[in-house]
Amino acid sequence: MKLLPFDYAVRNLGRSPMRLAASVAGSALVVGLVLAAGGFVRGMEKSLTVQGGHDNVIILGAGSEESIERSQISGGVATLVTGAVPGIRSRLGVPYVSPEVHMAAVLKPDRDSTAEWTAVLRGVTPTAFLVHPQVRIIEGRPPTPGQYEMMVGRLAAVRLGAAADQLALGRTLWFDNRAWTITGRFEAPNTVMDAEIWTPLNDLQIATKRDTTVSCVIVTLDDADVGDVAAFCAQRLDLELAAIGEAEYYASLLRFYRPVRAMVWVTAVLIAVGGLFGGLNTMYAAFAARVRELGALQTLGFSRLSIVISFLQESLLATACGGLLAATLALLLLDGLAVRISMGAFALTLDDAVLTMGLAAGAGLAVVGVLPPLYRCLRLPIVEALRTA
Amino acid sequence: MLTPRFIPLILKQVYRHRTRSILTFAGVAVAMFLFSAVQAMQSGVERATRQNAEDTTLVVYRKDRYCPFASRIPQSYEAKIERIPGVAAVVPIKIVVSNCRTSLDVVTFRGVPKDAFLEAFAPGFRLLSGSLIDWERRGDAALLGDTLAKRRGLKVGDRFQAAGITVYVAGVMHSDEAQHENVAYVHLDFLQFAAGSRSGGIVTQFNVKVTDPARLEEVAAAIDAEFAADQEPTQTSPEKAFVARAAADVVEIVGFMRWLGLGCLLAVLALIANAIVLSVQDRIREHAVLQTLGYRGHLIARLIVGEGLVLSLGGAMLGSLLALGLMSYGRFALSVDGLSIAVHPQVSQFVQALVAAGLLGILAGLAPAWQAARREIVTCFRAV
Repeated sequence: MKLLPFDYAVRNLGRSPMRLAASVAGSALVVGLVLAAGGFVRGMEKSLTVQGGHDNVIILGAGSEESIERSQISGGVATLVTGAVPGIRSRLGVPYVSPEVHMAAVLKPDRDSTAEWTAVLRGVTPTAFLVHPQVRIIEGRPPTPGQYEMMVGRLAAVRLGAAADQLALGRTLWFDNRAWTITGRFEAPNTVMDAEIWTPLNDLQIATKRDTTVSCVIVTLDDADVGDVAAFCAQRLDLELAAIGEAEYYASLLRFYRPVRAMVWVTAVLIAVGGLFGGLNTMYAAFAARVRELGALQTLGFSRLSIVISFLQESLLATACGGLLAATLALLLLDGLAVRISMGAFALTLDDAVLTMGLAAGAGLAVVGVLPPLYRCLRLPIVEALRTA
Repeated sequence: MLTPRFIPLILKQVYRHRTRSILTFAGVAVAMFLFSAVQAMQSGVERATRQNAEDTTLVVYRKDRYCPFASRIPQSYEAKIERIPGVAAVVPIKIVVSNCRTSLDVVTFRGVPKDAFLEAFAPGFRLLSGSLIDWERRGDAALLGDTLAKRRGLKVGDRFQAAGITVYVAGVMHSDEAQHENVAYVHLDFLQFAAGSRSGGIVTQFNVKVTDPARLEEVAAAIDAEFAADQEPTQTSPEKAFVARAAADVVEIVGFMRWLGLGCLLAVLALIANAIVLSVQDRIREHAVLQTLGYRGHLIARLIVGEGLVLSLGGAMLGSLLALGLMSYGRFALSVDGLSIAVHPQVSQFVQALVAAGLLGILAGLAPAWQAARREIVTCFRAV
């Protein structure tokens, strides 16, 4: 089969600069939308997927497995589980057991301000840094118990909807009629902790009048497994406990957000489909003007298949330009962009999978956009095509 | 304006290029589907958050708290609130949600005292199945909103569990307010003990009815002043303002979607303009023939604009009807913090979509119509 030369497709692109510009812009828009939607979903997935080892188990109140914030258990559970469950990881005699309070709270920039920020607070002890190795202090120091101090996550400002300088070291935030000083900043990339604010456990318990209760106890296992912790919970019916793997808990949160992710995809697909219809219209008109050319090519001995391949090359070149433009802009503007959602924040993630999907969408657009009008033009007999005005 | 006798000619022009017209209809339909969906969401937010002069309900919440679990107010506050001048009725409510986060599938339990429910809430509901007597009699009975029941596939007699609480479905009711459609009403004392965490005598909020809507803010301030120095200070606000604050994330997202709606309108403009330009380019000679036959330039221009109008209205009708139909059938609602913001489809949104599409169709056709009207007959014949 004799194929049309590749530069034939390239030269045809330049025949109508306006049409080329419209094709590139249209495909850039569609690919950009797919990348934005994919980056949103991927960022959300990454923040709710446990990275690294899956050795953490969350002990929380029975019935609160869907939402730690609703859980309330005795603070003594931390000591009980350390003694009752062998095989918990430890270092230099310190067990990896972290009692924590998780709560959504309303903070203010100052006492008299009418602005209100909803934040996710986590009351922790120093063992939290053992149990959550992803957390790294990037500025300042951890808060000191009894001093009403806080440490803010890297995305906490995005979560609060506040300017970054309002959460700078030394600034204060007002919670429960008291000023809390920011002493440090931490990061925990691709985790929900990145958007949280950490305080000493006792300080938060006192501020929220929780006595000695906590939301959960998180343990890191060594030789033990989830079943051992679950057996402990089952034995202590009086404490009304449940055990769930940390990975499983965040997987259930990811499932909880499925409708939101579906909504994002449906919106992106609808916009892409709308763009496709407009592109098809243009393609039909463009190809209608080249029916005679197609007839001439067939007269010269080029098969219909070789013409199809040449036009596909043309279309793919145009959409590839648009796709690459969109991918470049998306990487520059969208990758890492923090997005606020309820009870958290995450960064858009444009990784290999998302970029491949976006470019594949552009290629798909090229194929779908060219085949129907091309088929319509090529089905005419050669003589009829040559007669077309 | 165009006299009706030219309408068949316009329709014939649209029908002549069926593929182009179908593609334009479909593209406009998709764009207006999104536009109408965004409008319905924005309407839901506005309905839930915009105060009006007839509002008489205040919500008393724990100060500086966000999630219902964190708001723990002593039920004993009820007696003190009742004594405040301007207060007509007080209803203590305990709220338990399956998740504080925003999503489409959150189960919200509202525990209210039996008497208060029958007096304050029940009159506004229409019982679709089951009985109120059954709900009164059983301690673990729940009265489900219609939307929640459909979403979870529940009917009278079923038992279902959410948020660690197991209830018996005693009835399914319908309410015009989305807040009630998406919740399960249970007895207050049942929920206080089923929720655990030593919740006896503790409620999440008080709903307060005032005697005079004009005194809403005054009564709110008086309630907060009463408990300012207490163990659990309160923050009282009109119900709509409370919803706006609690659902700030949702309100922000929907506000952002306004830009999506504008983008959809721009897409409609581009689609119609593209179709009209292609159509006019194809018919240069035909327009010259029409002018030769006596059609004036401005009449041809109006025919072209009319074509754009037909394309835009046709697509808008299809897209908007689909969107509003889907929203009405699906009865979607975004839930956050125990509150529901329902997507609120209305006939006025359909009219809005038609008007917007119509204006855009006219606008899109203006430039090509003007060009076509000004072309000389001879130039047109030579151009082909």
